[in-house]
Amino acid sequence: MARYLLYRLLDAIPTVFLVLSFVFVAMRILPGDPALAALGPQTDPAQLALFRERMGLNDPLWLQYLKFLWDAVRFDFGVSFLSNQPVSSLIARNLPHTIYLTLTSVVIGLALGIPFGVYAATRRNRPADSALRLYSLLGYAIPDFYLAAILLIVFALNLGWFPILGAGTGFWDGLHHIILPALTLALLKSAFLGRLTRTSVLEVLGRDYVRTARAKGAREGRVIYRHALRNALLPLSTGIGISILATLSGSVAVELVFNRPGIGRLLIDAISERDYPVIQAGVLMFAFFVIFVNLAMEVVYVLIDPRIRMAS
Amino acid sequence: MGGPLLEVRDLTVAFGPRDMPLRVVDGVSFALDRGETVGLVGESGSGKSMTALSVMRLVPEPPARIGGEIRLDGRDILGLPLREMPAIRGRDVGMIFQEPMSSLNPVMTIGDQIGEAISLHGRMTPAARRARVIELLTLVGMPDPEARIRAYPDQFSGGMRQRVMAAIAMACNPSLLIADEPTTALDVTIQAQVLELMTDIRERFNSAILLITHDLGVVAEICDRVIVMYSGRIVEEAPVEALFDAPRHPYTRGLLKSVPSFSETRERLYQIAGSVPPAGTIREGCPFRARCPLRMPRCAVEMPPMAAHGPGHRAACWATAEEAAA
Ligand SMILES: Nc1ncnc2c1ncn2[C@@H]1O[C@H](COP(=O)(O)OP(=O)(O)OP(=O)(O)O)[C@@H](O)[C@H]1O
Ligand SMILES: [Mg+2]
Repeated sequence: MARYLLYRLLDAIPTVFLVLSFVFVAMRILPGDPALAALGPQTDPAQLALFRERMGLNDPLWLQYLKFLWDAVRFDFGVSFLSNQPVSSLIARNLPHTIYLTLTSVVIGLALGIPFGVYAATRRNRPADSALRLYSLLGYAIPDFYLAAILLIVFALNLGWFPILGAGTGFWDGLHHIILPALTLALLKSAFLGRLTRTSVLEVLGRDYVRTARAKGAREGRVIYRHALRNALLPLSTGIGISILATLSGSVAVELVFNRPGIGRLLIDAISERDYPVIQAGVLMFAFFVIFVNLAMEVVYVLIDPRIRMAS
Repeated sequence: MGGPLLEVRDLTVAFGPRDMPLRVVDGVSFALDRGETVGLVGESGSGKSMTALSVMRLVPEPPARIGGEIRLDGRDILGLPLREMPAIRGRDVGMIFQEPMSSLNPVMTIGDQIGEAISLHGRMTPAARRARVIELLTLVGMPDPEARIRAYPDQFSGGMRQRVMAAIAMACNPSLLIADEPTTALDVTIQAQVLELMTDIRERFNSAILLITHDLGVVAEICDRVIVMYSGRIVEEAPVEALFDAPRHPYTRGLLKSVPSFSETRERLYQIAGSVPPAGTIREGCPFRARCPLRMPRCAVEMPPMAAHGPGHRAACWATAEEAAA
């Protein structure tokens, strides 16, 4: 198992390298002068030149590229052009918010989606099933920023049940602040997960071992949760991985609408100000996230399916 | 209680539209006494599995519709609400399924799967349950049961899985054991062991066995009586010796002819000329008439009733009914 994971980890190295190269190239292709963006249009040319020299922007591209790679593997992303703070501390301050939001959303999304999907699967073509179909249709159709805005307007502005901005301080305040943003993403993901659960469970319910479970005298609840759902989790876990990643990308819009700190916000601000070091670091963070989630899903597969465990 | 352990009367399993039902089991009646082993034979698609599954109420309803009457130990099974079935399944009736490769849950250890069959019908400490699982595995001839309880179905051959299925079916010493081709997937020596095991259980607990099989050799070896099904109907029913000595239905005669010496061979029963009409497709007259050497005009019009040919021996054939009367 540990060996298997090590291989998986090694497998990720080329991906990381590709992402790094892509980020580097994309940064250089973007129009606009980072020095101007950092220091403002009124800066005198001598100062601009000094800035470029100090940031290494005058070096030949290949040297910039090598330096960039070397810094990246040491997790040294330099200093923000804008705020003059080390990028690593900016990341360290914002990353936990994004992780918290993503995890909360995924947990709520699973808690809503899986039972809903199971319920619909056991009541095929009855009202509950149709309700799920409608729900998932809406979930696919409504954009995240739109739902975020609606929830914000209704529950925070009009009803005043939730705070409007920011992430709050301390656990309970933080929880109070995260409910609406997390619910935005969770509702959308649960639509997708509910549909997926329904399909996987229906497929598994027709299997011979489900009939064996019934023949032993297992009641429906046990048949579904002990036998069917555990097998349905195999196809489902791929979908869960996808939805974690979708939640992550959705967090960008949600952080903006709810004005929460986070990598998404950080990145958007950095892009609009052409703050190279921060953009690079932000994009890399997202890439690492994707790789990490994929790896975590591999672990989950191995945990649920003894066949993979035995093969590896 | 007096009466037979299992009594099936006029059982019908129908699919499809109500005005044009496809009856895959059509008017099946038979009974099983305690301590008895009854063979249910017939070609593929004749409705054997559907009949067996009906006793457990495991035929998916819908799409299927079940009619008739099934009494287990006097209790009206088809009249019970479905939520009362789990208490009966596994405890009063154990079933070994036809498909050993797919009938076990791939993500549960076999120890847990057998253990579940035990704990669903009675409280037990984990240690006692474990001991019982090992006892059952030993009973079905599983080598090294202590180590095997942690294994997953994928680590077993078809024969070993069928033994696990047998252990599950027998976990609660059911009074009725239904075995749907329990030996088809097994090689000859293991077949013999599984059959011996089943007879063993029957003797120890005075239970009854309904054995579904293609294999007339197996029937001759362990069955007391035989029921022959054709296209959803029972065409002949007889004590084993009577059936092999003097079969009264032309279909049974064909079956026996295709097995040169019944006690030795394990050939399958596929060699009668023509093919079985899918169960339920013949709506009038005798379903066997197209392949029947004794066919007469009447056969196309009316399904022959079961006629008595001796103690416990009945057959549904116009021609042989006349022979008997003559
Ligand atoms: N869901 C269904 N809808 C329609 N027909 C069905 C359905 N399930 C089974 N059947 C039909 O019921 C008939 C009886 O099937 P059954 O499984 O009882 O046969 P069997 O005698 O056990 O055959 P085998 O020896 O191959 O196991 C078959 O003709 C089959 O096609
Ligand atoms: Mg069958």
